[in-house]
Amino acid sequence: MTVTSTEVSLNEDQRDCYQELTNVAMGQAADRLARLLDVYVVLPIPKVNLIESSDLHMAIQDAETDSAMSAVCQGFIGSGIAGEALLLFNDTSFSDLAALMNYGGELDRYGELELLMDVSSLLIGACIQGIGEQLEIHFNQGHPVVLGQHCKVDDILKSGNHQWTKTLAIEIHYTIEHVNIDCDLLLLFTEDSVGKLNNKINYLLD
Amino acid sequence: MATNVLICDDSSFARKQMARAIPKEWEVDIHFAGDGVEGVQAIREGKGEVVFLDLTMPNLDGYGVLETIRKEDLPAMVIVVSGDIQPDAQDRVKKLGAMAFIKKPIDAEKAREVLTEYGILTGA
Repeated sequence: MTVTSTEVSLNEDQRDCYQELTNVAMGQAADRLARLLDVYVVLPIPKVNLIESSDLHMAIQDAETDSAMSAVCQGFIGSGIAGEALLLFNDTSFSDLAALMNYGGELDRYGELELLMDVSSLLIGACIQGIGEQLEIHFNQGHPVVLGQHCKVDDILKSGNHQWTKTLAIEIHYTIEHVNIDCDLLLLFTEDSVGKLNNKINYLLD
Repeated sequence: MATNVLICDDSSFARKQMARAIPKEWEVDIHFAGDGVEGVQAIREGKGEVVFLDLTMPNLDGYGVLETIRKEDLPAMVIVVSGDIQPDAQDRVKKLGAMAFIKKPIDAEKAREVLTEYGILTGA
């Protein structure tokens, strides 16, 4: 039997494995979004990194610090593994999203909120469950919380009360073909969870 | 004679999963490629009579590999194995000449079913 170190670490094989599991899960999420909106979602290669909480903003690809964003956060927990999903939505995406969803009402901040909640529950739910299924973990999801509307990304990230110093961060940048919709989905696992997750991963790698 | 099978995927974990899903009784030489560029090279060298191809890859993605195969008229039967299960993705790869589409994570039974359906795996 191997002795696992309690130190939070990530080797190349593990990173590759997380990336592949995420690849499958985000494909399932994209499929649901594609069917809902009748579009083609462009899938990137997900980024997997161990980061310090102070460097969270650096985990976000092409974070345009000046553009206005809206964000939703949702916690999840299962088999002693916990984390939070953070969906950052570029505010310029709302008009195209409203059109694709045949949103009839006035697109004020309440209208935007409704669209934001719809998209985030779909993307976050499918991604979390997709990763859980592959690792044979059933994740329970908490209530989604709006972290802010029309904010700068730095302010949104600062508003999270993160109880960890180092975390496993998985970042997925979704864009939709031919329309102006882009958003970032970040999955952040707590420091305590990383060791347990790595054990699950090691089992798959054996 | 053993069939040259190429597994083209940027993830070493996915390549291993795919290799495990290949039916044991099928006489094959398995080759690996870590992205589309390596994949095309291997196919040109005759290492990809049957190709299990991922879509999302750096340098040259699976769509690019399919386009190259078509343009250069390379002898390869391609089975796309991808996590991108959107209806559009499946349509596109079929139009580009892929024989079949299998969703990830790869399942050994599904691989056997597809290989049998297209007559690649016979009379075992």
